[in-house]
Amino acid sequence: MGLDSDVARLRRGDVDALSALISRYQNRLYRYLLRLVHREAEAEDLFQETWMRVAAKIRSFDPNRNFDAWLFTLAHNLAIDHLRRLRPESLDEPAPGSDSGESLAARLPSGERPPIESLLERERFGLLQETMQALPVAYREVLTLRFEEEMKIEEIAQVLGAPISTIKSRLRRSLEQMRSKLEAQYPGDAS
Amino acid sequence: MSDHDEIRDMLPLAVAGGLAPADEERVARHIRSCSSCAAELDDWRLLAGGLRRMPTPQPSRGLVERTRARAEARLAEEAEHRWHRAVMIFLTFFAWALTLASWPLFRLLSSGLLGMLDANWDQAWIRFAAVTTFVWVAGGAAALLVGLQRRSERRMA
Repeated sequence: MGLDSDVARLRRGDVDALSALISRYQNRLYRYLLRLVHREAEAEDLFQETWMRVAAKIRSFDPNRNFDAWLFTLAHNLAIDHLRRLRPESLDEPAPGSDSGESLAARLPSGERPPIESLLERERFGLLQETMQALPVAYREVLTLRFEEEMKIEEIAQVLGAPISTIKSRLRRSLEQMRSKLEAQYPGDAS
Repeated sequence: MSDHDEIRDMLPLAVAGGLAPADEERVARHIRSCSSCAAELDDWRLLAGGLRRMPTPQPSRGLVERTRARAEARLAEEAEHRWHRAVMIFLTFFAWALTLASWPLFRLLSSGLLGMLDANWDQAWIRFAAVTTFVWVAGGAAALLVGLQRRSERRMA
């Protein structure tokens, strides 16, 4: 059955529809929460809380809205509240350019081949995950929503309740930091 | 900033799909003639592709089952809560209707007997109506306060 039909059935209180939606979103939602909070136990609690919130608020959901964005907004709010309570410092967003004072693209001399290609060949995913975890929450969040959830920038703006321009600048800075950190880990590969 | 540098700064956003169509066109035109930016764009694409293909962590079956059970219980609780509220609203309206209907009945039944005992029976009728209204308003306010308190308790839970 389709997503719209499941959502409509859930709004009427159909328990099977809730079960179907949990199955449909379980991996994506869990991944998103884990990327935000890192710790499995915390991600599991937030996963449960998000679905409890869905059950409590589904009747106020406007069916003309995008369910994905609504669901991830609930999860985002819960995760940010959680981090604010437990690790408020983790929510600090670095000032633009604080990493180096200029963008990575500007630092690279034209024509120099960065080591990305060889880096990604080696331990690609473990390294990427590790590097991503070292980014600030705001950056990890836009990366996972854009590249893993494949949300459009407008949808990300809806989930985060932020202007599109903010999302774009966070995306750019998060990619630059990601690349910069990857290169810093393997400086020898630059040759 | 030269056009080349400007384009180079746009490349991360280009692979994130965050450029306006006009800028996308500018980037596409530039990389056709600039091998350095073309190579740079390939690297950003590689990074974006790696991010897209990172393994998805799976929630355990136990977690999903626990979540399902708790969320279903919450859904049932919400339905029960809505039902109780509907019943309370119905009963309140019914009680008010009954009270309002009792006033003319009281007047009709009492007009003969009270009329003989009390020359100012109209005042007795007004007192009856006033006391009834006061009792109902006080009851309504108490019910409202209890309802608000319960709602805040549910939010805290």
